[in-house]
Amino acid sequence: MLEQGKIDSRQAILLIISLVLPTAILTVPAITVKHAAQDAWISIIVATMAGLLIARLVTDLSLRFPGKTLFEYAEEILGRVPGKVVGFLYIWWFLHANALIMDEYASFLCSAHMPDTPVIVFFILGIAVAACAVRNGLEVLSRFNQLFLPLFLGLLLVVFILATKDMKVTRLLPVFDKGAIAILKGAATPASWLGEIVIFTMIIPFLNKPKEAYRVAALATLFTSFYLLVSILVAIMIFGPNVTGHWIFPTYNAVRVVSIANFLERMESIAVAVWMFGGFAKVGVFYYAAVLGSAQWLGLKDYRPLVAPVGVILVALAALCENIVELLDFLATAWPPYALSVFEVGMPLVLLIVALARGKGGEGT
Amino acid sequence: MKKIAVLLLILLLTGLTGGCWSRRELTEVAIVLGTGVDWMEDGRIRLTVQIARPGAFTAGSEAGARGREPASWVVSAEGRTIQEAERYLAMKVPREIYWGHCIILVLGEEMARKGTGMITNFFQRDRQPRENIWVMVTRGEAKDFLETYSSLEKTSAQAAGFLERMKTGYSVQLWKLAEMLASKGIQPAVTAVEVKEAGITPEPDREKKSPPQKQVGLAGVAVFKEDKLIGWLDPYETRGLLWLKGEAMKGVIIVPSPGEPDKAVSIRIRRGSTKILPEYDGEYLRFMVRIRVEGDMVEQQSREDLAKPEKIKTLESEMADELKKRATAALEKAQNEYGVDIFGFGDAFHRKYKKEWRDLKDRWDEEFSRAEVNIAVEAQIREIGLLTKRAGVPEE
Repeated sequence: MLEQGKIDSRQAILLIISLVLPTAILTVPAITVKHAAQDAWISIIVATMAGLLIARLVTDLSLRFPGKTLFEYAEEILGRVPGKVVGFLYIWWFLHANALIMDEYASFLCSAHMPDTPVIVFFILGIAVAACAVRNGLEVLSRFNQLFLPLFLGLLLVVFILATKDMKVTRLLPVFDKGAIAILKGAATPASWLGEIVIFTMIIPFLNKPKEAYRVAALATLFTSFYLLVSILVAIMIFGPNVTGHWIFPTYNAVRVVSIANFLERMESIAVAVWMFGGFAKVGVFYYAAVLGSAQWLGLKDYRPLVAPVGVILVALAALCENIVELLDFLATAWPPYALSVFEVGMPLVLLIVALARGKGGEGT
Repeated sequence: MKKIAVLLLILLLTGLTGGCWSRRELTEVAIVLGTGVDWMEDGRIRLTVQIARPGAFTAGSEAGARGREPASWVVSAEGRTIQEAERYLAMKVPREIYWGHCIILVLGEEMARKGTGMITNFFQRDRQPRENIWVMVTRGEAKDFLETYSSLEKTSAQAAGFLERMKTGYSVQLWKLAEMLASKGIQPAVTAVEVKEAGITPEPDREKKSPPQKQVGLAGVAVFKEDKLIGWLDPYETRGLLWLKGEAMKGVIIVPSPGEPDKAVSIRIRRGSTKILPEYDGEYLRFMVRIRVEGDMVEQQSREDLAKPEKIKTLESEMADELKKRATAALEKAQNEYGVDIFGFGDAFHRKYKKEWRDLKDRWDEEFSRAEVNIAVEAQIREIGLLTKRAGVPEE
């Protein structure tokens, strides 16, 4: 076993929230609102349904193979060579997704806060810190996350509550303005984010109570969706659907608008600070999944030697992104079909069906 | 041991060097308090900034014997875009121009007629200016507006910002303007300001009376079609606009005293609410506007005893009439003279008739101009102050 650590259910829930939420509230609202306008919140609810189904699928699959990660049972189900191919694709996807996460964060920091700092600094620093956590294993990562995520969520909620002064519920009307297709289009992006729960397959084997996996996945998805929903509602109720779709990071702008009695204002520094913690956790989980997966794919006894090389690859991949327009365009158009249909639904479904057909693995508990 | 030493060294370094990259000290930045943009004849824009002189903001110099040091410095430069003008400004300003504390954005009249969208874009896009900058249109040139002095506040930009914040008139922040610019169901209305004669500061020597000062003041509302200025509302109509938009329920209503119509009674508004109810049958467009208002009687010129329920009832109905008159004045000007929906009737219509809106949205302003609007006001008087009737009047 490559990973000695065990985490409890609460840590797992928090880890999955970190896995999805930090970038979701950064870039998803604008994309969803662009499609569905004031009905974006319905899109999120639709996406939540999809997210819950994916969570169920992934957990079903994993629980058939107790103590094994995606990379190990893919080979068991499909046979050695096809299993390796699937594993390789997943390693690629974890790396690619992680590079995009870092691009999102670096773009956000560069355009909103530190224009003089070259993006590569954010990449290297972010990866260096995440590498330390990953080297120390899942337990350390979970504990870090357990420590900071409640702070992240709490402060964000406080800021949202302070923003209520500028909100108008009428901005959400009329409901179903753009029709069902627009709502579904708007749901694709948040669904692809919630579908990142596929990485849960790398964590389930290390749960101290694997039986609670369903509950963990469902709770985490619901909690993430709740925050995503709130941040979208906040942005729409403050700016209205038109302007929300114009901003790149509407939640950030919504936080900037908050001004209570002319002295409690400029709270974006809090938002950015908590976002940084969140972003680091998210990068960490994806990084961990990529490293552990690569080690299992290569059949190594220890994953630690891979931490540094994978980090270098990550920095290089992230640096490939040329500008923010390219990134946003990719996230809005290419990412949902690419992530959702192949890695989040397609492959897990195929694996599950083949496993059932071939009678591999134990009965799902 | 060696490891600990290295760690300590790193810790020390992070403490000493952290945050030095692109740091900005207060003495190295020029803090912009107010920005003005004017349209020049040759198609370029003139950017005028009011920059704070931090020395004048310290408590010491305010009470100091040197007298009041000027708290601001106003400079202008021209360019094709805001950024180009800013670069030319930088040739005169020996510090880095910092937008993060900009309070107001003033558009000159000509600039506003050419279009505001190309100006506000920078202030939304750049990371330094904030979404809650107060936006206003001045009669005349923005440069003249920013070059004024304030007797009460440190600078005229702050004075203008505080005037807006008090919501005495109609006030708009950048993010609200952005919403009005982006929606088809409402046309932008922006605060109108002007340079006014505003009082004097008395000198110890009465002979040496200072001349009346030119200071900033509110002047109603600038009406826009899309992003171009097309006209103005005077302060009276501005009150009507505020009522129709259901914003800033403040102010005073003057009504004739029931028994002595040549004498006036003042009612201070306490709170109110506005509801716009659209009705549409595919052809005929109608709006019901329901305004509710509560106020306190604060002043009475007449001699009669108003502290009687039936008199209060009369006052209430007069109050409702007066309010309706104001709202109608604003509405008629918008419908007949300018032909633009600055009240957001279109948004209200959109909320109720989403399908019909798709047909109407591109010619909304014409539809709005033709629409029938019924205004119903429900007024209530709550308090009458500390007096029952005019003091010093003998019993009859």
